[in-house]
Amino acid sequence: MARIKLPKAKGYIDYTLIFIVLLLLGFGLIMVYSTSSYTASMTPSTNNNPSYYLNKQAFATVFGLGAMAFVAFLPYHIWERVAGIAYGVSAVLIMLVLTPLGMKINGVRRWLNLGISVQPAEIAKLAMIIFLATLVCRLGGKIRSRNGFLIVLLSPAPICLMVWLITENLSSAIIIFMIGFIMLFVASPEYRRFALITLGIFALGALVVFTISHMPASGLFGFRGQRIRTWLDPEAYASGTGFQTLQALYAIGSGGVFGKGIGQSTQKLGFVPEAQNDMIFSIICEELGLFGGICIIILFLLLLWRLMIIANNAPDEFGGLLVVGVMGHIAIQVILNVAVVTNVIPNTGISLPFISYGGSSVMFLLIEIGLVFSVSRSIEFTED
Amino acid sequence: MSRSDRRPFNKKMQEKLVVLFLIVLLAFVGLSIKLVTITRDNGESYKKQVLSQQQYESTVIPFRRGDILDSKGNKLATSEKVYNLIIDSKQMLRKEESLDATMSALSTCFPGFPESEVRSYVSQNPASQYYVTLKSLSYDDISGFVEMQNDKTNYPDIAGVWFEEEYRRVYPNNTLACDVIGFTGKDNVGSYGLEQYYNDTLNGTNGREYGYLSEGEMLERTVVSAVDGYNIVTTIDGNIQQIVEKYLYQFNEEHKNGARPGGNGANNVGCIIMDVNTGDILAMASYPNYDLNNPRDKSALLGSRFVNDKGLIEYEANIVTEENIDELLIDDATTYQQLNYLWKNYCISNTFEPGSVAKPLTVAAGLESGKMTGNEYYTCNGQLHVGDHDIKCHNYKTGGDGTLSVQEAVEKSCNVALMLMGRQIGKTTFLEYQEKFNFGLKTNIDLYGESRTNTLVFNQKNMGETELATSTFGQGYNVTMIQMIAAYASLVNGGYYYEPHVVKRITAQDGSTVQNISPRVLKQTVSAATSAKIVQYCNGVVTNGTGKTARPAGYAIGGKTGTAETIPRDKKNYVVSFMGYAPADNPQIAIYVVVDRPNVIFQDDAKYATKIVRNILTEVLPYMNIYMTEELSDKEREELENLDIAIKSTEEEVEGEEGAEGEGEVEGDGEEVIDAHGGDITSSTTPTAEEMESDDVLTAPLTGSVLNTETGAPIIEENDDGPN
Repeated sequence: MARIKLPKAKGYIDYTLIFIVLLLLGFGLIMVYSTSSYTASMTPSTNNNPSYYLNKQAFATVFGLGAMAFVAFLPYHIWERVAGIAYGVSAVLIMLVLTPLGMKINGVRRWLNLGISVQPAEIAKLAMIIFLATLVCRLGGKIRSRNGFLIVLLSPAPICLMVWLITENLSSAIIIFMIGFIMLFVASPEYRRFALITLGIFALGALVVFTISHMPASGLFGFRGQRIRTWLDPEAYASGTGFQTLQALYAIGSGGVFGKGIGQSTQKLGFVPEAQNDMIFSIICEELGLFGGICIIILFLLLLWRLMIIANNAPDEFGGLLVVGVMGHIAIQVILNVAVVTNVIPNTGISLPFISYGGSSVMFLLIEIGLVFSVSRSIEFTED
Repeated sequence: MSRSDRRPFNKKMQEKLVVLFLIVLLAFVGLSIKLVTITRDNGESYKKQVLSQQQYESTVIPFRRGDILDSKGNKLATSEKVYNLIIDSKQMLRKEESLDATMSALSTCFPGFPESEVRSYVSQNPASQYYVTLKSLSYDDISGFVEMQNDKTNYPDIAGVWFEEEYRRVYPNNTLACDVIGFTGKDNVGSYGLEQYYNDTLNGTNGREYGYLSEGEMLERTVVSAVDGYNIVTTIDGNIQQIVEKYLYQFNEEHKNGARPGGNGANNVGCIIMDVNTGDILAMASYPNYDLNNPRDKSALLGSRFVNDKGLIEYEANIVTEENIDELLIDDATTYQQLNYLWKNYCISNTFEPGSVAKPLTVAAGLESGKMTGNEYYTCNGQLHVGDHDIKCHNYKTGGDGTLSVQEAVEKSCNVALMLMGRQIGKTTFLEYQEKFNFGLKTNIDLYGESRTNTLVFNQKNMGETELATSTFGQGYNVTMIQMIAAYASLVNGGYYYEPHVVKRITAQDGSTVQNISPRVLKQTVSAATSAKIVQYCNGVVTNGTGKTARPAGYAIGGKTGTAETIPRDKKNYVVSFMGYAPADNPQIAIYVVVDRPNVIFQDDAKYATKIVRNILTEVLPYMNIYMTEELSDKEREELENLDIAIKSTEEEVEGEEGAEGEGEVEGDGEEVIDAHGGDITSSTTPTAEEMESDDVLTAPLTGSVLNTETGAPIIEENDDGPN
């Protein structure tokens, strides 16, 4: 694979990447306002302030951009030294949720009150990227061995279990695990093992789905079983567990090719619950149509393409792997989010990067982008 | 650490990264295809689904029903904004702490808040957004909670409560003028009185907030604001109305539990005060009354007599008391029979035989038609043979009144003289004047429920010699109080028949006038000369005749008494009345009081009516700034001081006017009259019913049929005016 040529300049800055990220952030703020202003103005707990969510998100975005710039100017190698600490700190933070520092929102304990509310799962994602990049570099050639493979594959597992069990956040646990899986995939020269694992997971998933769908609708597998039954036939649970999924589908379908126009969604008026969060993509499709939805997907594709270019030109393996981790993180969240909204997979809470409402998410994503800029600044250009 | 130590991001990794990117690309393409298929396959049906979920049902914005004001601008009826407390379970359950915080706040702010009921509703209906919990709360009721709701620092968790606005009809004076005003239910439909007659004027048009689909299938919202109803300004003077009702109530207090234990002071007492020069109704009331804010309160029926399913009170009708109320009002229909009778405006809905009050009308017909000159003399021997009957006068036992001038006939209320006048006038002319005085026709007063009397009066076909004879002293035909006072007002104001009316102006909510309703002269009933003569005769009734007890302290008034026996004739049940006007020399107002079967052993005494008139005028005339013309006795001065009434005349004025009038009454006289009549008049001079009993005429077919045809009217037969 040939290296793609980059213009020769010292301290390379990827303006395309900056442009795409700012575009996504700006668009995200517009959509957060569009989706949340009505419900916020109707809710006394937000002081009936229509820009309540917008204000909070804009604050987190500005703060995140500052953090991004700071991280971008740091040499990324310092992260290699704190990798182990990062892993430990993220584990501790997750456990802190159980202390009085933890915050409950919508009945779930996922947040830490550190002046501002922070989701430790978001910190864990960043920590995992740094930790795994460091681990892979340390392992070197040993990664080809079965042990090396298993070490990298399983090292995210403790954190994943903690995220799942302590913060009851299976989707974040899956994302953290998949970030590791993708980094391992890129780092390891293997194909067969990955294909087998992937096939195995799919087979297991199919078996579970088959079992649940052929069982009487009892309490088997708890609410997750119910989610799967809803996934298979959302209309049967239209007023219950299928409500959110169906309303999101109605939103997408009713938008048509070019949508109802920005701000004109009717589904956001209470039908799609908390439309500014995980289901924001359905409102984008309703207001901007198929065209708008696919434009957003293309924008993410461009972002991932830029990340691939930067990784492939990274000055060393650590830098490259950091970028791969970031790329994997964003790719997984975009794919899973759109898949949930379109009912391709069962409903689980995954936000759309840069666009969904959520301060922790956007802040740590921008720090990750800062890492990418830090790596891209160190790119050296060689004449062929 | 130098860069040479580091391994590069090798070719294999680059290759696998590209593979990863391609897999991601594939996933993105797959999801895009899924998006396309959703839109293509389900777009139309989802579009409809989304539209069907929208609430197009428009929200109604309620209009405000207009106020009813008295002539001075005081509110007789008004509409208050009230609030319904709505629970939104969905909002309340959004945050865990909200339910408890909101419930405790609601319980402290609203004493009657059904917390356990609402809690179970919220838990059973978590998706409900509209549950009416408390209704018709005033702004003061809710302000405490609204403050807490807005206080985000101390009460951050209150959620899921809002207030829906509505209007409620309020009558600030409760029972005052209930017959005139009527009442309005929640649906803005007025019942009785002005509320029903002016229902459409008072009502506005509801506004709407509604959604519709614009061309691009966009949901648009539009607000059409409500148009409030008009206010009506009445001719009723709240103060005069209050004085009238005070004395009707006082009469009831004095005479309840009399001959009929547990019963009101009378079956009904009605009073109208009218401006004779405009037809404005200044006051109109009857007793028993009811609370407009609680018209269905059965306790208002206590003391009333049972109304049968024809809407009539039978002679032997039970009296509704606390002991028998549950037995008597066995079902809703029976209860509403009673309530409807109570709600009816006695002054315009009930018909009766007017009795001797009609005598001035007979005299006026004779004078105006030229059949009489006014200089005639009539001889009364105590009875007159008419057709096959001897119709007796009230003074039959003492051998008659002897020879009487026209004025004396009116003053003494002599039936024989009037019957002789009737012969002079003749049937055709008499009936012509009956019609001129509007008998048999509605007055078209602007109140709901005026009775039709067209079948209750005589015509050319059914009026024989006997009917003509009894009609001259006001019996055999039926009238309403309002017909009587409107006709009488025309006799004393120079002959102008004004349409009686209650509303003088219609205004918008901002106070601007929409319509002025000016007095309407419908016809001239008599000439000014005839009018002057009638005034002279009726002044004589109060100075020399049967109406002395009606004169208020300090004033000269005129009028005519009436005492009428009701059907069945042998039961000695009477309706007593007084029709008066003041001041005597220049009538400004007319007053008519009717006491329907006073709750006393001997009912045939017009004193029951004249005393009420006297009491009312004693306060009303000074209130209207009409100067006193008569000298006051010490007793009268004391009376006025007790009532806190300023004596509105100077000595000079009194003397001057007395001189001009030439027939001022001496106070001592007045007092004597009251004493004499108040005491033993019934026993001493009562000529009584017995004489009338022989008058089969009076139970003649006509009167019998009248009784059966009319709605709820007590049919009253004239007896005589003896007691007065």
